[in-house]
Amino acid sequence: MLEVNDLVAGYGKVKVLHGLSLKVEEGQLVTLIGSNGAGKTTTLRAISGMIPPESGSVHLGGEDLTGLPSFKITKKGLAHSPEGRRVFPTQSVKDNLLLGAFPRLTGARERGDVDGDLDRMFTLFPRLAERRAQLAGTLSGGEQQMLAMARALMLNPRVLLLDEPSMGLAPRLVAEVFATIARLKEQKITMLLVEQFAAAALEVADFGYVLENGRVAAKGPAEALRNDAAVRAAYLGHAH
Amino acid sequence: MNVLSQLIVSGIAVGMIYGVIAFSYQLTFATSKTLNFGQGEALMLGALVGLTTINFLIGQAIGTLWAYLLMLPIVFAFGLAQGAVVEWLGVRQAVKAKSEAGWIMATIALGIIFRNLAENIWGRDALRFPSPLPEAALTIGPVRIQPMEIAIVLGALAIMLAVEIFNRRSIFGKAVVATANDRDAAGLMGIDTRRVITFSYALSSMTAAFAGVLIAPVTLTGATMGAVLGLKAFAVAIIGGLSSGMGVIVGGLILGITETLTGYYISTGYKDVPGLVLLLLVLSLKPSGLFGRATIKKV
Repeated sequence: MLEVNDLVAGYGKVKVLHGLSLKVEEGQLVTLIGSNGAGKTTTLRAISGMIPPESGSVHLGGEDLTGLPSFKITKKGLAHSPEGRRVFPTQSVKDNLLLGAFPRLTGARERGDVDGDLDRMFTLFPRLAERRAQLAGTLSGGEQQMLAMARALMLNPRVLLLDEPSMGLAPRLVAEVFATIARLKEQKITMLLVEQFAAAALEVADFGYVLENGRVAAKGPAEALRNDAAVRAAYLGHAH
Repeated sequence: MNVLSQLIVSGIAVGMIYGVIAFSYQLTFATSKTLNFGQGEALMLGALVGLTTINFLIGQAIGTLWAYLLMLPIVFAFGLAQGAVVEWLGVRQAVKAKSEAGWIMATIALGIIFRNLAENIWGRDALRFPSPLPEAALTIGPVRIQPMEIAIVLGALAIMLAVEIFNRRSIFGKAVVATANDRDAAGLMGIDTRRVITFSYALSSMTAAFAGVLIAPVTLTGATMGAVLGLKAFAVAIIGGLSSGMGVIVGGLILGITETLTGYYISTGYKDVPGLVLLLLVLSLKPSGLFGRATIKKV
């Protein structure tokens, strides 16, 4: 479904990714793990067009997305729940969700049942249902994370990129986030998950990539990585 | 007492005009963090295009009020186009080149070009704009009000309300607000934020052009009418806060009323001083504006 080949990207003169390749099959949950600065977030940003890749290619369902601006990539069906949530603070929870469906509401993507999907989000995230009229800026961190994920899902995406959904959350909420991801996986939503909590990410994922200095250092079925001595020592030893 | 209430009432109409122009500054600042320093010229062009249109319509034996109403859509369309041109020529290029001050110079330059253009087309003399409403003042209690002054207040409120409703109710308006909140995140929603910025410039100039035809019947219309209005409204936008929706109405009224009071009790020669003093005070004491607020953000 999503295929990234030899991706080189960074910020100005600073290169972060040095030829990164990865693949996400339809219905799969793939996770990217690695230490801070390995290039996990940059990978997602280069895939979704938030930063233009220097070279390499990004394909979604066989279609070349390389170098397109993010709004065009979103219209092709790639949703990105970015690092730091980035909900729209002065808009209500419901309006944030509707904005997630912007391409569907404006004819750029098949409309489907937007109202039904809103209801589904409120079932999946009951906290959001209680707060649907509240401004997103007044939500707690955990609620904002739920909203960011729900907003991305409102696209009815072919692939969902999730960047650090557990960041800055209390342990109880981290568990809740991972439970939600597991539920999305049951619904066969194709996902690429970036996480600091490598152990938890490999627990829920089908396949994993370990990033080091902007390159893939190891890859394999999540279970194999979980049991790999080197990966355990480097990333799973002191999982917070 | 009668004089005072009369002065306040007169200040309200001009204050609402300041408020509406200040509101039009906010529209582009929200989405792009840039401003059109030729906003006064957008107002002036709107008024002059309106003048030519209304005179043509009156020449077709249409009554003044009807001619005024028929003129409005043309002024709106012209304002939209003029704003899009400003964004395209002045702002987009400068922002793309990552020039910090480029858009400031570019919009000032465009403003001067528009003023020269207007002088060549409409001449240097101030022109009379036909009033769509009776010019005889109405007496309401202790004060006398021109019907057009009431129309200014209602028109100004109507356009601000219309933009507000558009932003809150329609998905495109929500996209504008999303772009103002967080441009990158808006892009991830599939919103073409560049087009949103062009649109906000178009809407901003349209609002200014409307302010131009609102004030034209009670003032003189001409190529230089916009310069001072644009500057004072800029002060109001700073006083009211560049990001606080309704602060500009209060800011506009404060300025409009202090001006008429100063003009009467001190001297018309000092009419422009209080607004500028207020501007300096606000800038040094509360730079985000009297009603400006920091964005709500929780981590």
